[in-house]
Amino acid sequence: MKKGNQNSRRPVQSKKRYVLAFIIGTLIFISAFALTTSISYLQFQRISNFQNEISYQIFNDKLDYSFFGEDICATGSLQKISEGLSYQGLIISDLEKKLGKKNKKVLFRKKFYTIIELEHLDFVNKLNEKCSLNISTILFFYSNNKNNLEKSEETGRLLDVIYRKNKNLVIYSFDINIESNIIEKLKDKYDIEKSPTIIINENKKIFNPKNIKDIEKYLNLKDESIIWL
Amino acid sequence: MQVITFIIYSSIYIGLISITFFILTFIDDKKKPRIFFKDKELPNISVIIPAFNEEETIASTLDSILASDYPKKFEVIVIDDGSKDKTLSIANKYKKKGVRVFKQAKNQGKGAALNLGIKKAKYEIIFTMDADTEVPKSNLKKMAKYFKDPEVMSITPSIVTHPPKNLLERIQHIEYVTGIFLRKTFAALNAVHIAPGAFSGYRKSFFEKYGGYDEDNLTEDLEMALRIQYYNYKVENADDAPAYTRPPSKHSPLLKQRKRWYIGLMKNTWNYKKLFSREYGDLGIFILPIAWISILFAISVTTYFLYDISSSIYKEILFYKSINFDFGSFLDINFYFFERLFFKLASNNIIIFLLIFFIVTGIYLNYASKRIGKISNLLINFPLFFILFPILFGFWWIVSVFYVIFNKNVSWS
Repeated sequence: MKKGNQNSRRPVQSKKRYVLAFIIGTLIFISAFALTTSISYLQFQRISNFQNEISYQIFNDKLDYSFFGEDICATGSLQKISEGLSYQGLIISDLEKKLGKKNKKVLFRKKFYTIIELEHLDFVNKLNEKCSLNISTILFFYSNNKNNLEKSEETGRLLDVIYRKNKNLVIYSFDINIESNIIEKLKDKYDIEKSPTIIINENKKIFNPKNIKDIEKYLNLKDESIIWL
Repeated sequence: MQVITFIIYSSIYIGLISITFFILTFIDDKKKPRIFFKDKELPNISVIIPAFNEEETIASTLDSILASDYPKKFEVIVIDDGSKDKTLSIANKYKKKGVRVFKQAKNQGKGAALNLGIKKAKYEIIFTMDADTEVPKSNLKKMAKYFKDPEVMSITPSIVTHPPKNLLERIQHIEYVTGIFLRKTFAALNAVHIAPGAFSGYRKSFFEKYGGYDEDNLTEDLEMALRIQYYNYKVENADDAPAYTRPPSKHSPLLKQRKRWYIGLMKNTWNYKKLFSREYGDLGIFILPIAWISILFAISVTTYFLYDISSSIYKEILFYKSINFDFGSFLDINFYFFERLFFKLASNNIIIFLLIFFIVTGIYLNYASKRIGKISNLLINFPLFFILFPILFGFWWIVSVFYVIFNKNVSWS
């Protein structure tokens, strides 16, 4: 038997292989990040187009009755627009998490989304007034800041359940931390100092609701239409 | 960036580099010539089977090895390690087929039984075989041919479990099969550091020169492989020679087995820490360090995962309490839900990396199926393994580290 080679050095088989493995491994690692970022931008593009379509629809409906004098009660797009807006809100929140709060493109979409929401709120208020409808509204003021994120997400989930359970309800969400004149005006109007805060039917303010019952008792729900923005 | 995020991405990055390295090694190894014994050159063989209370399996083990189509002489030696059941009487029935049976008066452990077998063995090439292992008839031939290379001191097979019946067996089945590709790659680097106790071959002269099995060692097979590496010899792998073992089917014996393995690994690699050096080539600078880095990552990530999942469960309970456990509302799912779900998954880095690892493990399994034949219920067992094994692996390691830190005893049996 050959003597043990404990004093001799065993060479590395191929240094080139290590270098190649490092390069390929690094490329795969970076490519995965590039792929997910590209998918996020595809999602951003999709949501931008979708946002344009919805805002067009809202402005179109509004012009129909405010400028051309058509019957506001005849509008049939409320439910569709509401669901679309709800989806937008969720996707913008996802994009914000993926691309960062300071991403200018996402921030712009978020501000635009806020405007569309308020346009929709105005439209719903007019529907209630002119068509004797009884659509309830909830304004949800949340924050993505570290200290308030968890509470805001919990309230968001509560509202999501209420949205799914209860028809004849519209929920609008507003990030109180984005730099926007409209948000500042909203905060002043509803006296919002902290998050999460909800305003039910523009008159009942609740801070950090803990149970679904805390919210539902203030809602005046009648029929089976539901909207969550 | 959170510490845990850094750990997760670091482990993924190192994992990708390692996988690439293994695949490149495997490709390069195919081009390398190997020397093998031809059938007529094959050496005579002694097969040693230590047995302790193995009345249920020893007959099928003996039947399988005696059915070998080995073209030269081979003897089978059973060492009864003080069994209290019918192991000895069953083994004695095989004496008429040429099996040599020896008995130790009291149970002294597997290492001692193997050492007795080595003393009794007539031939230079020795195979050790667990009394619950079964092998196809061509295994001895496929494995012994590697001893043509005088530097080869040990030959390992592809360890596989019998077709699994329950969840734990399914997970272990895929774990063993996945190891086939890795062990072949390690052999290509001369970095196999575990010679399975279930079935492996050695040169008797190595035992004579460097001593027999360490009888007090929790993992005497691992220690032997490290010793061979330490003395700069080769441990080869015959990946086309499957050896079928019986895995624990319940978690308690499985945990006991893993504690023994992992604590044995910790203690033995500490004893052979000199292997972690440039002097031992790829084994010293890459394979052993990467194995330990993976273990540290597995422990950290599993600890975090267990903490996170328990805290999430607590939060979920509080949430469902806040909605009065009304689950009906969750049935309201529309197209937007699925579109968002798709985007969430496709834009999640971790999901993409998991997909890559899933594909790579699939490649490993495909290779294994080409070497040992069809893998049992792959479409069910592979996803189960992929989801559950990392958690179990981390958990077993956490328990083993706990045992080492608090100096708790773990016995072989």
